[in-house]
Amino acid sequence: MPMLSRALRGLGVSVAVLAAFALLDGAVHALLAQNPFGAPRAAEPEGGIVGWLLAKQSEFYRQMSATIRAAKSDGSAVWTLLLISFAYGIFHAAGPGHGKAVISSYLVANRETARRGIVLSFASALMQSLIAVLIVGICAWLLNATAKTMCGAEKAIEIASYALIAAFGARLVWVKGGGFIRAFQPPRPALAMAAAHHPHDHGHGGDHHHHHAHERHDHDHGHDHGHDPHHVHDEHCGHSHGPTPAELAGPGGWQRGLGAIVTVGIRPCSGAILVLVFALAQGLFWAGIAATFAMGIGTAITVAAIAILTVSARGVAEKLSAARDGGGMLVMRGLEFAAAALVLLFGIGLLLGYVASERVTCL
Amino acid sequence: MRPALRRLLGWLVLACAAMLGAAAQAHPHVWITATSELIYAPDGTITGVRHAWTFDDMFSSYALQGIETKTKGAYTREELAPLAQTNVESLKEYAYFTFAKGDGKKQKFTEPVDYFLEYKDTALTLHFTLPLKTPFKAKELSLEVFDPSYFIDFQYAEKDPVKLVGAAADCKVQFQRPNDGSAAAQKLGEQNFLDGSASNFAMMFANKIMVECP
Repeated sequence: MPMLSRALRGLGVSVAVLAAFALLDGAVHALLAQNPFGAPRAAEPEGGIVGWLLAKQSEFYRQMSATIRAAKSDGSAVWTLLLISFAYGIFHAAGPGHGKAVISSYLVANRETARRGIVLSFASALMQSLIAVLIVGICAWLLNATAKTMCGAEKAIEIASYALIAAFGARLVWVKGGGFIRAFQPPRPALAMAAAHHPHDHGHGGDHHHHHAHERHDHDHGHDHGHDPHHVHDEHCGHSHGPTPAELAGPGGWQRGLGAIVTVGIRPCSGAILVLVFALAQGLFWAGIAATFAMGIGTAITVAAIAILTVSARGVAEKLSAARDGGGMLVMRGLEFAAAALVLLFGIGLLLGYVASERVTCL
Repeated sequence: MRPALRRLLGWLVLACAAMLGAAAQAHPHVWITATSELIYAPDGTITGVRHAWTFDDMFSSYALQGIETKTKGAYTREELAPLAQTNVESLKEYAYFTFAKGDGKKQKFTEPVDYFLEYKDTALTLHFTLPLKTPFKAKELSLEVFDPSYFIDFQYAEKDPVKLVGAAADCKVQFQRPNDGSAAAQKLGEQNFLDGSASNFAMMFANKIMVECP
């Protein structure tokens, strides 16, 4: 009975999540007709939410130059600038568009918590802001380089960041592929494993919140079930909450997310660079820096919201699959593997120019 | 039902992550206000296109970064010449954001000539002429100006967006503005998007010039 009610509740949540996604999907789809991940479709202009987001974003962005000019004579305009930048960051929804995709996929693949999703979002967005300030600070302010040089630097960083995404994805695929294949054992060993795994599976269905709650201080938790020799090698078990040196991103808690932070954060937002150079030209570089960080915070909020959504959706999927024995694990490992593969594909797509909308245009 | 739902959910999570990532990037960072002239030879062949693109305040300032001038805040055509050179050279990679068709056949442009930059009212204007590789005669000429990646937003000037230079008197020019969210007020050419000819999302941002000469 409790199983049934849990399943029903899970179903309810998933329907809600599905509805939200369907809504987003519909809005986003029109813009993606040329994207390799979206099926081609006749363009639908006036694209609902996205059209509105684009319009808002452009509006805020275009107000920035006027506000910076105003700040030259009226200091209070700086507050307006910060507010506009923050709003732009929120609407801009992740400086480099791939940021959300990488972080979300990483969270799914690595069975991360919402808390870590939020930290990753903020850390990567702030790193982005910092990189933008550094580029303009060094190129324009210190060296007085031309836009051509600066844009060239931006492009080089961009290529490097795409390569990083691909590498990051490849590593995830490598690690996750193992888990996926292990979950794919032929029937007989699977039977033996199913028996051995029983307490484990249960642990994942029911204990999930437990893990969450202890995420911060308890790094050995996953190894509680370590008496089963399979578990020692089965990285998905201890891995998420108790990394060992042999695992994904080396030892330690935060270092593990560092790859994701650097991968996403290394590429600055073109918008931030334009604002910074403009502010510099107006003799208000500091205002540009403040605006860049306000943008970064706004961006982080949106990315974090998407990260939370992703983690909850994953949790729902996990609950649903835990309700079914045996195959559930296969589904979850498959999901993790698919998320990892997505990061790799995304990186390759960006690198080869299939996702053309992510290129900086140097004029 | 549940396994199916589960699978669906899993895919949706992934698809959304990817889509959101890709979609959010499709927004402009540079705004160009354009005017274009189509140039005809006396015998009625089309020889090229002359563009005048005015960049927005922010991008103009960005482009001027690091350029030395004699008088602060004033830029002469000579001082801007190297930048104009850079601009037209860079534009080549993007096919000058100008896509021409004569009677349905794609036409190519050669490298720009007569290019220069002008600085006025804190904005830069790039003037350049794109000669056609092979000048041609066509009953129906279509010219599209847009950035497929939508990094640049092209909007034609309110006044005299398109001119024909030296064309026969009975040539008729039609101009359609893009029909995207940011230009919702300018709802010209809606049918054009609904008839299925635009299977590319970027076409939403295209400015379409059509000339018919009987």
